[in-house]
Amino acid sequence: MKDDKKITSPLKRREFLRMCGTAIAGGSVIAAGSTLALKSKGAKGNVFWQIDPAKCTQCGRCETHCVLPVSAVKCIHANRVCGYCDLCGGYYISNVKDLNTAAENMMCPTGAITRQFVEDPYFEYTINEDLCNGCGKCVKGCSSFGNGSLYLQIKQDICVQCNECKIAQVCVSDAIQRVDFATAYKLKE
Amino acid sequence: MKKDIYRTIAVVTGIFMLTLSIMLVANYFQVRNITPLETEVMTTLKSLNETNPDNADLQAQIRQLDLLSRKAYFVQEEHLKTGIYILLFMSAVFIFCLRGYYADVLHIAPKDIDIFDEWLVKSRSRKYVQWLAASLTVVALVLVVASNPQWLKSDKTAEEETLVAEQSEAPVAESVVAEATPTETVEAAPAEGEQTEAETADEAATEQTAEAAPAAPAAARVNHGMFRGNNSNGHSSARNIPTTWDFAGGGKIAWKHALTTKQGFSSPAVHNNRIFYTGGDEASRELYCHDLTTGDLLWTLAATGIAGSPSTPPAVASNTGYASASPATDGRYVCAVFATGDIMCADMDGKRVWAKNLGVPDNQYGFVSSLVLWNGIVFVQYDNSDSQKIIAMDIATGNVRWQKDRNQKVCWSSPIIATVGGQAQLVLMGNPEVRAYNPSTGEQLWSVDGMSGEVCPSPCSGDGVIFAANEYAKIMAINGADGSVLWEASDYLPEVASPVYANGRLYIATTYGVLAAFDAKTGELKAERELNMELYSSPMVVDGKIYIIGTSGQVYVFTADDNLQQISSFETGEMTYATPAFLDGKVVIRSLNTLYCVSE
Amino acid sequence: MKKIFSTFVGFASVALAQAQNRFPKPDFESGYQYPDLEYAVPDETLWNVLDVTMLVALLVAATWAVMKKRKPMIWISLVSVLYFGFLREGCVCSVGSIQNVALAFVDGSYQMPWNVLAFFLLPIVFAFLFGRVFCAGVCPMGALQELVNVKNGRISKPVAMVLGLLPWLYLILTILYAVTRSRFLVCEFDPFIGIFRLGGDVELLVFGILLLIISVFTGRPFCRFLCPYGALLSLFSAVSWKKVEITKKKCINCDLCHNSCPVDAIRPPYANTDKEERREGVKRLLGYMLLMPLLMILGALLMRMSAEGLSRAHKDVRLYDMVVAYEALDAPETIPLEVEGFYMRNGTLDELTVVKDSIVAEYRTYGTWAGALMGMVLAIALIRFSVKRRRETYEIDNAACVACGRCFEYCPQNREIGKSDIEK
Repeated sequence: MKDDKKITSPLKRREFLRMCGTAIAGGSVIAAGSTLALKSKGAKGNVFWQIDPAKCTQCGRCETHCVLPVSAVKCIHANRVCGYCDLCGGYYISNVKDLNTAAENMMCPTGAITRQFVEDPYFEYTINEDLCNGCGKCVKGCSSFGNGSLYLQIKQDICVQCNECKIAQVCVSDAIQRVDFATAYKLKE
Repeated sequence: MKKDIYRTIAVVTGIFMLTLSIMLVANYFQVRNITPLETEVMTTLKSLNETNPDNADLQAQIRQLDLLSRKAYFVQEEHLKTGIYILLFMSAVFIFCLRGYYADVLHIAPKDIDIFDEWLVKSRSRKYVQWLAASLTVVALVLVVASNPQWLKSDKTAEEETLVAEQSEAPVAESVVAEATPTETVEAAPAEGEQTEAETADEAATEQTAEAAPAAPAAARVNHGMFRGNNSNGHSSARNIPTTWDFAGGGKIAWKHALTTKQGFSSPAVHNNRIFYTGGDEASRELYCHDLTTGDLLWTLAATGIAGSPSTPPAVASNTGYASASPATDGRYVCAVFATGDIMCADMDGKRVWAKNLGVPDNQYGFVSSLVLWNGIVFVQYDNSDSQKIIAMDIATGNVRWQKDRNQKVCWSSPIIATVGGQAQLVLMGNPEVRAYNPSTGEQLWSVDGMSGEVCPSPCSGDGVIFAANEYAKIMAINGADGSVLWEASDYLPEVASPVYANGRLYIATTYGVLAAFDAKTGELKAERELNMELYSSPMVVDGKIYIIGTSGQVYVFTADDNLQQISSFETGEMTYATPAFLDGKVVIRSLNTLYCVSE
Repeated sequence: MKKIFSTFVGFASVALAQAQNRFPKPDFESGYQYPDLEYAVPDETLWNVLDVTMLVALLVAATWAVMKKRKPMIWISLVSVLYFGFLREGCVCSVGSIQNVALAFVDGSYQMPWNVLAFFLLPIVFAFLFGRVFCAGVCPMGALQELVNVKNGRISKPVAMVLGLLPWLYLILTILYAVTRSRFLVCEFDPFIGIFRLGGDVELLVFGILLLIISVFTGRPFCRFLCPYGALLSLFSAVSWKKVEITKKKCINCDLCHNSCPVDAIRPPYANTDKEERREGVKRLLGYMLLMPLLMILGALLMRMSAEGLSRAHKDVRLYDMVVAYEALDAPETIPLEVEGFYMRNGTLDELTVVKDSIVAEYRTYGTWAGALMGMVLAIALIRFSVKRRRETYEIDNAACVACGRCFEYCPQNREIGKSDIEK
């Protein structure tokens, strides 16, 4: 009887309820914590975002949708895939007249692609990452007229690894996926 | 004293911050819509440079502008970064000073702005929560309605239906029929008068056919967008076509243009004022555009630089060549396909929009199947020896809408668009099966076995019936609704020229020069005419007349009825393989060496 | 900075054999060697360890500060803003981790990184033990607002109480969108991320700056009226093991603690003067309790029926709409990029329809739950607001308290005695 009275008095009742709450909250913390720990155990840790060049259609959104002021997506060049052509679809505009470095002939809007003469008739192409803004124009040119040695990749040292990649949200070809450390780049050979 | 210093610094940094942020914002709005690397000036200059390539001034201008804009781009980026760092530092100083200035009263609130009574506060809160709940409900309701648009619509239809039902009981049933859409009326039509229902159905049917036929008489201009006219069915709604012309003497010849372009057996396609046809040899394949009024060659577009295109074209027979497949146009784009498997699409000014190679065809005579266009989709029947496919591509982009493997033998005929029950069907001859597809999705609608030999003529259709015929096989009339065979005949069989249907009759023209008319319902042979000529070009039915041109240039015009009455017959002396294009008052004919236009 | 902790991935180790080779590789006669390029990959495990260590260290420091009534909170806030905010650029964060956790619960294939789990659980554990010490100054968003705060202007109480429901609704919506794999709302609409990254979405940047300007004049608008993680933490801090309390004996009713509290968590003594009959009150309370299931059903129904509208937040559903619209056109002039991309990867409408239907079905299921929960939130608020309670002393609302420690600073008793007057 006495106990009952204690519990029914408002203050004690509040105390009692609070204790119940504490128990429930503590229990749920432990329960949720352990299930989640079990779930995340053995996770490969797919923390990196990366573009699959096989899927990429060079829609141009990598340049405009990255959260960074200049996109973390850069064009990279696979030397072993390249044909070292003089008339390069990624270097020159599509209907180029003279094969020289005059501005009206160049494809890259920032002038990030340079080339060096190797031997007749071959040129080695290099991309200046600081200038590249990931617009993908050269990639389009290269994959429609060349070997596809130019392709877009997310530079992991620039990318801030957002929880949800802004570009992936608008990617028209679903080419951006999470990858783990071992496959942080999808390189062409 | 200390307070004064704080205040001064705060005021100074505050003003500085304000100016800086206004500058940054202004800068932002200025450059927001301009990408310095792709300014309008730059693009116009570049396109100018394309049209006149050797203008040194222009090039110098481009180079200078390019340098400037790139510099501007990077400098601006740098400025923005510096600006933001300064702003951040200033904000930190400002907040620090502000906190210092208000140090003694920091964080202390002024007196409560509310009435102190807690119960009143709670009561008011309850009211607000109720408002919140109500507004959330409203938002949710709007969402619900947006999610289920069919509710709105179905309510409306129900209303309309009751309206229709009420009115049709009244004697003014006919006016309702005119107002309501055909399908709804059919549904809602009461059983009281069978006649009304029949009338409604009729009207619905005519409306649907009118909708389905793109070259309805109402259209201002009759075009001839592809091989054998629109829908590739051998029909044209053109009027005032001359029944005789004199090529040598120039009678009724508006213009003629000796062809210096590459050889090809493809038929011309015409839209508005532009004539398109193709030509090609081992060196290159080209699409040509002529002006319909003057006959001048407006532009030439070579199918070069296409990814996957073979460097040595596949071997073809001399009587098919590299450009037997006819181009197709819808007035916005023109598409052409060649025996190399290259397909390309250009706009009306000859600018290539897209091009690709469909895979080099393995074909003993060469790939010849003409293109068909429907609703912005271009169809290629790609039945070669190694693989047989039907490919539907978006005309604007070349993207594959759908593609089906056909598992047939090699075949040289072209697809057509048939209208069955108001629905378009894409019908393809094949060896051995004639098949119909849903042109939007590629779903196969029906398939009928029965062809054999070397299948070359295209099918034709009329009144929901598909007609397929080939030498070494038979003539088949197929019900387009279910693919059942209505009748078969084998009196006269075509080898190259395609059959054509008009007014309940099926007309067949054979290579050795016989024109035959069959009853389209029964297959009974109604009439036959011996023409004494070799024939490759397909007959066309125009304005109730059948036009036939033999390879040696002999032209025959017959009435399209059971009599096959000969209206005229004359020689042009021009070797002709292509099927002519018919337009109001005009015929465009591509002979082997000349393109000419006949006009009243 | 990131490059310090980076390793390098060799060129050939993960190559895709998919070159198009339209042109054969040249045969160089001059002895040309292919240059080997290497691309840096930051070793995130190091960073992750550092992040979690920082989190624990700051949590412990904040707990110590609260328990000992000291005031290093401003320094904790500074460290948090500089490290988690400006250096780590706002990712990973506990607020966003709700979504990863929600997704991990429903999607077995989703692998949650362990550091995200730590960021989700640790603040909750601390909240359960010592109150919302995470909010006090460890969370960079709370810390930033705390740092810029100068005035503690009050907002009309009823309005503030109703706005206080928004975090709950936001939390429910966030979870709904996370479990359907649509989007991470919290990350997408994070108002402070643009400030930490010194650039970003302009609309959000403006929103963030506005929030900061508001928080100069009043305490923590984001924490109080938006933060979904704060709502979650309040569940645990309300029943925490150790709590901050006000000792009645020593209190001189100066009202300073109440006035300095940025989140209005200190309730002054209140003697009920309302003359309403007890029966009226009980009737009202019962009425709202009965209303609860009704509101839940209503919410569930409404959300279930708006599943299609809600599902448009999902990329594939929007794509479906675009493709359908595009294919309905007779002669399309231009093709939207999305539709073009869809055709380029040889997608068909049939497949897409299946995908879309399954997404909408998911929305229907989870939406029903979300609607019921929303109804419950509203109903519980109504019930809470109809309970009358007398208070003889100043009391702390542990659910709302963010453990910033301002009240200690302002309590004259605490200051003079130097010992606990506001006691645990």
